[in-house]
Amino acid sequence: MSNSFKFICIAAVIIIPGSLSGFASEYMLGIGFTLFMYIALAQSWIILSGMTGYISLGHVVFFGSGAYVFVLIWGLVPVWLGVALSGLVVGFGAIIIGYPVLRVRGPYFVILSFGLAELVKNLVLINEARMYVSLRPVFGAPPLAQLYIAMLVLAVGATVLTFWIRRSRFGAGLRSIREDEWAAETIGVPVARLKLMAFALSGVVPAMVGAIFIMRSGIFQPGDAFNPIVSFTIVTMVIIGGSDDAPGPLLGVAFLVILQELLWANWPEIYMIILGALLIGFVLFAPGGIFSWLSKNISRGNKNAA
Amino acid sequence: MLKRLLTASLALVGMFGLLGPAHAADPVKIGFSIPKTGLFAPAGPSQLNAYLVWQKMVNDKGGLDIGGKGRRKIEFVQYDDKSDPARAVKIYEKLITSDKVDLVMAPWGTPHHFAIAPVVERHKFPLIGNTAASVALRKVKPGYLWFTTPMMPDNLAKEMTAMLKSRSVKSVAIMYNLLPFASENIQFLMPALAKAGIKVLFEAKYPPDIKDMTGMLTKVKAKNPDAVLVYSYPGDSILYMNQAREVGINAKTQYVMVGPAIGFFRGMFKGNLDGIVTMAAWTPGMKNTTGSQEFYNAYKKMFKGHEPDYLDSVEVFVSSQILEQAIAKVGLDREKIRQAVNTMTFDTVYGKIKFDGVQNSITPAGFAQIQKGKIEVVWPKQRATSSVVDKGAWAK
Repeated sequence: MSNSFKFICIAAVIIIPGSLSGFASEYMLGIGFTLFMYIALAQSWIILSGMTGYISLGHVVFFGSGAYVFVLIWGLVPVWLGVALSGLVVGFGAIIIGYPVLRVRGPYFVILSFGLAELVKNLVLINEARMYVSLRPVFGAPPLAQLYIAMLVLAVGATVLTFWIRRSRFGAGLRSIREDEWAAETIGVPVARLKLMAFALSGVVPAMVGAIFIMRSGIFQPGDAFNPIVSFTIVTMVIIGGSDDAPGPLLGVAFLVILQELLWANWPEIYMIILGALLIGFVLFAPGGIFSWLSKNISRGNKNAA
Repeated sequence: MLKRLLTASLALVGMFGLLGPAHAADPVKIGFSIPKTGLFAPAGPSQLNAYLVWQKMVNDKGGLDIGGKGRRKIEFVQYDDKSDPARAVKIYEKLITSDKVDLVMAPWGTPHHFAIAPVVERHKFPLIGNTAASVALRKVKPGYLWFTTPMMPDNLAKEMTAMLKSRSVKSVAIMYNLLPFASENIQFLMPALAKAGIKVLFEAKYPPDIKDMTGMLTKVKAKNPDAVLVYSYPGDSILYMNQAREVGINAKTQYVMVGPAIGFFRGMFKGNLDGIVTMAAWTPGMKNTTGSQEFYNAYKKMFKGHEPDYLDSVEVFVSSQILEQAIAKVGLDREKIRQAVNTMTFDTVYGKIKFDGVQNSITPAGFAQIQKGKIEVVWPKQRATSSVVDKGAWAK
């Protein structure tokens, strides 16, 4: 498939809504915010799980930890410095945690990643109760238009990062881990270091996303910040999108966020049922995801034209 | 020609016939979010049902009195917020900017109130809160949000200690859920108990999704305290009721925070609920209140014999009465409604209510007790419909 097509994909999903910030209604900006949030999350998930094959069902751990670091320093440092710090602290934490965690492989890693998120959630819960802090409202957050732009920046940044890693020597190393970790190690790929770097990198963006998200929701609660649904949604979006490259998750996220929003706004009572049926249909009829379905049909179209 | 004239005049008549009265009877659109799925879904009906009862009571009278200039019926626009505060933010933005509702009413729970505070503030939509309680609410900038609840944790701690003293309680065991409201209560309760010289023999916190309490309860039984205070939510309240009976907790004062005031609890535990003290400040027969019995009857009629939740449903109805009375005074102008809510004194099922800043400054925090299958307000004394009695032995 041509690079120009990939470029068009990226342009369509990011640049068009990006230009809306000036005149779109608040409701539309809210949808855009969610869209960018999941783009950033899905792209960062790809760096670890898409490329190395270490499937994480607990990606929310970075999101929630970033949010928690952010509310702890809320009011002490300027807002955007706080966002950056959240990313740094969580990235650093990921290096420490990743060292033991990444020794576990296959289905065991899937379970471990899920368990890790739940563990951190409960640690935060206990810590909050110990300090008798019951609620952490975030008063005086920047307006939605600013948060929207910030989230757009993160989404673009994460997309570019994934795009670049996929084409770098680093990315090739990561994919060799997915194909056969032992073989890769034997021929001299520094698998342990690469995995750790991927783990830390895939944690930085979600942590900053979490920090910005907390300003949008206006309140930090461990149950919401570490909600496993976020992890599952990321995986669903990537599967629907297909591919381990940047355009795949873009399509998946756009499809799911927009569909969910349309259904929710028009059929609030039964939208979950419709959504469920559509997802099943999707898995049955386009198992390779939107990306592979599109590339198949477009390459067929090109052949016909030729 | 004649035919065409006839058609034209018919169309004209039809148009006026439709437009005229339809315009006068345009309903007032009121929006809110409700947790229909997710963690708080079990609590949603207590709120939604009270809104629906209020809507029916008002519409049966011909609609809301709009500042003395005629009546308009109420139409609700509601969405499921999936128990997610971020989703509630989105919903209120949609209600205000896309659905163009005339007014908004409160979502369920404290976190959701915090989450939507900036939205109503920005769009200058007055919102009377309900089902939200936390001392942190006082930090909300006064403006477009008010809180009807009397159940502020610091006041509750004070009243709880006073009630325990009045019953000559010397020692307590405390168990509490890690969720915000419960731990906030404990934060204020501990120093209050210490000041009153009441000994805490046992203290334990537990996660929201706890499945078994027997370990904790066995320890509580061994300490034999005068009172057992459980700061619980409906799910763990059910667990306590079952396991306290099995273990044989025989303290004469047992407090179960949220749950016993909800109708299904009485069906579930029948006689065993007698003597349990809970958080509530209302009962249908209460004196010096407005519309209590009417609300109770309308609720039972609409929901086929089910009773309202004496805590949440009542508070939701209070907030509805406040909105209704403000509109009756000043009409639908949101800025005027805001001024009215700030200055008026309202007649509600809780009695008279006036706001001081964002808080209800009249209704005191209090407790109720289930006595012979009925909920009686037992504390504070000036509002009590009955006095606190000992919890009897558990029925097997």
